[in-house]
Amino acid sequence: MDKFALNQFLTLLKREVLEHRNLFVLAPAFLALLLLFAAFWISKQFPRDQLASGVAYLAMLFDGLSPVDMAPVFMIGAIPFVFLLYTYAFVYLMNSLYQDRRDLSVLFWQSMPVSNLKTVLSKVVTIAAVAPFFYIAVLFGVYLIAMIWLTLLGIQFDIEIVGIGYMFLAAVVSLVFVYLSAIVTALWLFPSVGWLLLFSAFAKRTPFMWAAGVFILVGFLEDFLFGSQYLANWVESRANPNQYVIFSFGDLVDRLFNYDMLFGIFVGAILIAGAVLMRRFTD
Amino acid sequence: MKNIFLKNRYTLLLTVLAVYVLVLVIEGAITGREAKVVKFDNPFFDLNLNNFEEFMDNRD
Amino acid sequence: MTNIVHARSLQKSYGSFQALKNVDLDIPEGSICGLIGPNGAGKTTTLKALIGLCDVEGDLLVAGRDPRVDRHKLMEDVCFIADVGILPKWLKVSQVIDYVDGVHPKFHREKALQLLSTTSIPSNKRIKELSKGMVTQLHLALVMSIDVSLLVLDEPTLGLDIIYRKEFYDRLLNDFYDGNRTIIISTHQVEEIETLLSHLVFINAGTIVLNAAMTDLEDSFTEVIVSPELRSAADALHPIHERELLGKKSYTFEGVPRAELKQFGELFTPSVADLFVAKLKDANHG
Repeated sequence: MDKFALNQFLTLLKREVLEHRNLFVLAPAFLALLLLFAAFWISKQFPRDQLASGVAYLAMLFDGLSPVDMAPVFMIGAIPFVFLLYTYAFVYLMNSLYQDRRDLSVLFWQSMPVSNLKTVLSKVVTIAAVAPFFYIAVLFGVYLIAMIWLTLLGIQFDIEIVGIGYMFLAAVVSLVFVYLSAIVTALWLFPSVGWLLLFSAFAKRTPFMWAAGVFILVGFLEDFLFGSQYLANWVESRANPNQYVIFSFGDLVDRLFNYDMLFGIFVGAILIAGAVLMRRFTD
Repeated sequence: MKNIFLKNRYTLLLTVLAVYVLVLVIEGAITGREAKVVKFDNPFFDLNLNNFEEFMDNRD
Repeated sequence: MTNIVHARSLQKSYGSFQALKNVDLDIPEGSICGLIGPNGAGKTTTLKALIGLCDVEGDLLVAGRDPRVDRHKLMEDVCFIADVGILPKWLKVSQVIDYVDGVHPKFHREKALQLLSTTSIPSNKRIKELSKGMVTQLHLALVMSIDVSLLVLDEPTLGLDIIYRKEFYDRLLNDFYDGNRTIIISTHQVEEIETLLSHLVFINAGTIVLNAAMTDLEDSFTEVIVSPELRSAADALHPIHERELLGKKSYTFEGVPRAELKQFGELFTPSVADLFVAKLKDANHG
């Protein structure tokens, strides 16, 4: 890829972030503030000596432990953010190739020398890698504030605070795992991503009704014609978090390079190719 | 041939879905992937109208 | 002269409505072409087809490419402004400039900034906060900062007041048109662009009714005011249009040599607006 093509693709990603800044930045930031306020409020409910022994216990608990080994513990902190991300991811994908056709700005986007392939790929990369990055950045901010707060408490209570440093490192490593999990999840759910994009590009109105309706219809048709339910099973078999959550760097290779993952990417690519071709019908 | 698939959005959708389902079914048959029949644990699907009271009791 | 647009038997239907019926169209390179027709005649469909924004059937080459296959490559050489404000409303002015700068290889940022500095458009405002006139000014500034060979304008001045409209066309002629570039403008306000045009295309009900260079109009079309006693002689030459004019009758002829018409009185070349009415009525009456 030459320099201009790369720069062009980065511009497309920037465009997505600008359009969806509320989803990608404001929403997790709001959630973070909410959680931090809740944490402060809860800590105020405890008497001073209990709080001091609590901080001392936390510091002792993590002191000297490997941050990489402890990281999965802190992945729990990311759960509300991940739920928020995937709720928005669904809305984002459903609208991504529909909204601009509805408000006619598609005439502007399509009057630029950007291929349909790049447009659709920019949506996929945005949801798989860019949006999670913003969520991780917000979480990093949360952990940073939490660490500074615990450190200040530690100094105030005159506690050995080295353990809090270990805790923070583990929390930061957990963010790397959360980010990798988000990318792996997007790949694991590639067929669903493709399905949503295809109907987002197809529908003249209510893309969700089309996506859901046709899924049910094709499911029944498959059962009727072939006596199988692979389409319906697909959803069920891809729902297990064990298949995409990364708890260690070793997991990454396991999750990515297995037959089911690669076959899923392949059939997802069929649907995404369909969305790219569908993009030519703008009216 | 290409013109038929790309004639309009509907023919394209049909083509893509047909390819997609065929790939799933063929792959499923080759690899012996278990083509489960969905089992419903929902009591509504065992509904026997002759036994409606029993059903109401069981449901709780 | 080569043709930048070459179309043969273009067809497009929306359901049972036939928007384009076998449209053949040649537009020479370097011309300023007016695509003129009443509302719903197929102007927008034709223009969108030219830039690959509308899937049509038939043979179509624009700047040597098929817009249905090579839209993104074609758009390096073609710019488009539509009749509706199509700039995305959520972007800021400065962000639109960044975006075009990022995706278009032939965009000149300095030129765009310089053009914008002559307007009152604030660069930190979002598009939705700008007036309709400003959005069009902004779009024109963007488009004029791109080195393209073809500019497609679909009713660009619709809904603008007279000052913006005049300024729009002045800029277009002074800052964009250099004799090599081609401009295609669709409008139903014929009078406003009549003096700009070098080429004229009339479209009605999805059919091209006239496709000619402005310089050829003089040879093909003649208007003459005929006194009552000569009317039957004039009728014999099959005028394509006749109308009452201050108690006299004006006839428009197509393809009748001026020498033959001299006998009826003073000869004019009809205005584009009159010609438009004449051709449309002629087409409707078969």
